[in-house]
Amino acid sequence: MVPAELMVRATLLFSVIAFGGAAALVLAWAVQNGQFDNFTRAAEGIFDADEPIGQPTDRTLSAAAGERDA
Amino acid sequence: MREMKPNAVPTAEEMRRASLERVAIDASCRRAVLTWYASAVFWLLVGSTFALLASFKMHIPDWLTESGWLTFGRVRPAHLNTVAFGWGSMAGIASAIWMMARLGRVELKYGGLLVVAAMIWNIGIAVGAGGILLGHSTSIEWLEMPRPAPIILAVSLLIVSACIFVNFTRRRERHVYVSQWYILGAMFWMPMLYITAQWLCVELPARGVVQSAVNWWFAHNVLGLWVTPMGLATAYYLIPKVIGRPVYSYYLSIIGFWSLALFYSWAGMHHLVGGPMPAWMISASIVGSMMMLVPVGAVAVNHHFTMQGHFHELKHSPTLRFVVFGAMSYTVVSVQGAFESLRQFSEVAHFTHYTIAHAHLGMYGFFTMVMFGSGYYMIPRMTGREWASNWLIRLHFWSCALGIIMYFVTLTYGGWLQGLMLINPDVKFIEIVVKLTPYLHGRSMAGCLMTFGHVVFGLSLVLNLSGVGKRFGGGR
Amino acid sequence: MILFLGFVLTFGSSWAGLVYAPRLQLGGLDSVGEAGTAQAYPRVRTEQEERGKRVYEANGCLYCHSQQIRSTTFGNNADIARGWGRRRSVPRDYVNDQPILLGTMRTGPDLANVGQRWSADWQHKHLYNPRMMVPKSIMPSLRFLYEIRPMVDGKPSPEAIALTGAWAAEIPEGSEVIPTEDAKALVAYLLSLDQSADLPEARE
Repeated sequence: MVPAELMVRATLLFSVIAFGGAAALVLAWAVQNGQFDNFTRAAEGIFDADEPIGQPTDRTLSAAAGERDA
Repeated sequence: MREMKPNAVPTAEEMRRASLERVAIDASCRRAVLTWYASAVFWLLVGSTFALLASFKMHIPDWLTESGWLTFGRVRPAHLNTVAFGWGSMAGIASAIWMMARLGRVELKYGGLLVVAAMIWNIGIAVGAGGILLGHSTSIEWLEMPRPAPIILAVSLLIVSACIFVNFTRRRERHVYVSQWYILGAMFWMPMLYITAQWLCVELPARGVVQSAVNWWFAHNVLGLWVTPMGLATAYYLIPKVIGRPVYSYYLSIIGFWSLALFYSWAGMHHLVGGPMPAWMISASIVGSMMMLVPVGAVAVNHHFTMQGHFHELKHSPTLRFVVFGAMSYTVVSVQGAFESLRQFSEVAHFTHYTIAHAHLGMYGFFTMVMFGSGYYMIPRMTGREWASNWLIRLHFWSCALGIIMYFVTLTYGGWLQGLMLINPDVKFIEIVVKLTPYLHGRSMAGCLMTFGHVVFGLSLVLNLSGVGKRFGGGR
Repeated sequence: MILFLGFVLTFGSSWAGLVYAPRLQLGGLDSVGEAGTAQAYPRVRTEQEERGKRVYEANGCLYCHSQQIRSTTFGNNADIARGWGRRRSVPRDYVNDQPILLGTMRTGPDLANVGQRWSADWQHKHLYNPRMMVPKSIMPSLRFLYEIRPMVDGKPSPEAIALTGAWAAEIPEGSEVIPTEDAKALVAYLLSLDQSADLPEARE
């Protein structure tokens, strides 16, 4: 076998281990860390007191009509 | 006072603090995000020009043939590389930087370094596209940029990834939102993919057909593990954020992420269907492609039910228009892609413009539209200016939306006809060429429409960046 | 439930990894030529042909032309029925190709065996302006690979391309069209494209 072919295989093997291994590790971390424990809280995490649920945040096209919340 | 959610009434002080925090986070991203996004739009305009040149050359074959650097075979890869790596990647990175800061609830650090990375990236694209035009293309699809462009891009990519990971570890919000999952995935996969593929296709090339396998594994994964995650991350953040309603099922969104991570990397081989490859490689890829229906279904159901009852917001929000258009295209293009990988389907569609239409529905109908939406949301929050003209926004939306629909319909139909004729040996080849001409004209027209939209958007952006427009958000 | 899912997916990704590696390794095994014979197939290209391949790459021919013949069982056997090749392409046909130019588009015809179909003269005329040979062709003219220059001593050079019709009229009196080294190399490469050698694994 050509040495170059060996290198090719080594690269592939390395990338496969890195991809698969990383996915496994990250998933294990996420489960342990409680990332998947409370989906309601998770989904609502992107809102805050100033931009709460129920508050649209982009009314650009209606701004002229004065509908925009200032 | 605005309407409050009844079960959690924040005090005025809480609101003020939340608002200040958000404004401060947006401000911390200002330079980095504007540099990445404005550069992206610049490359979009350059790439659209190449696209039009290539498209017109298909029906005016003697146009601009005096010198080599504008020949079709150079302009076409120049188009692909400037829009995929210039526009798409840079806009995606801009959105990623901003969303990671917002979702981590922490001000961006190393913004200066990210600006430098953007400059390096720009140099990389300029060198790469210039190299292609000068006749140094590697002729490996999606990896055409000659040295040293890939090295420059890889350096910049590593800086960006590192910055995003470091900023992620500094986050104040411990929980990782689905958009962050997607972005972290993309930031991890892309440098790996890019460097591996560059290594195996160009630097230390695998021989023969293995190279094709690596090539298409890479090219398809650029879509699946780089472009798609960034587009979906943006949709998962902006749709709920704009309409003010949490995502319908967070559970589904997580399933969607992990199944995408698992199946997508398998999908690329169908580009080689029928080719001189071991059949089982292609079969594995077909299985992978069909399995993609799982994450796609998850995303489609989720976005639809999140939007349900809020479609009227489309009237008000340019962001939502673009992002929802993108999300819908994602569903269509992914379902189409899954079936396209089937052998019976490929016998007709492979080697034709049908595939080109499919690729544009993904890269444009889905990703580009989502990125436009993200720009419309981010930019005013960075510059402190509203968009100067709603009329320009509408013009942009409609010309791009109609443009891509026209593009897709024309080439899908034309491509299918082409495919049917190609597998009918009684049809002379030149008859296929002739039969296809009207569809090529149609494509050029659609391309003009889309490019016009880009110019309008570019104008909007320049106006905004030069301070034209009302102050954003009143004076909080 | 979530934990279970986690396990399934973790297992799934490692499985993907384990299968992914051999699949590419299997491809790697195809890297031997038909050793032991004087006329090994595929033969190593000459320097000029290799240069021509680079011209082919630089000018993006692969965006419209594939170089692969598909099996008789694929797509109504159209590839072979069109006369693009006598047998399907197999991995061995490409072991000397770096980069490999299989292509993914057929705006123009397949070129896997184009060396059997046309002469050098036809190729030059066609590259200079495809419509001279195929009136309805939409292939771009590659005339930047040709040089228009005054004849030496008023006599046409043996290398000159014999243009016909309107294209001949465009050339000033006393001038001729000469292929550059790149054009000659490209034609040499095109003429070298030939997968007619009988390979056992290609029989079906």
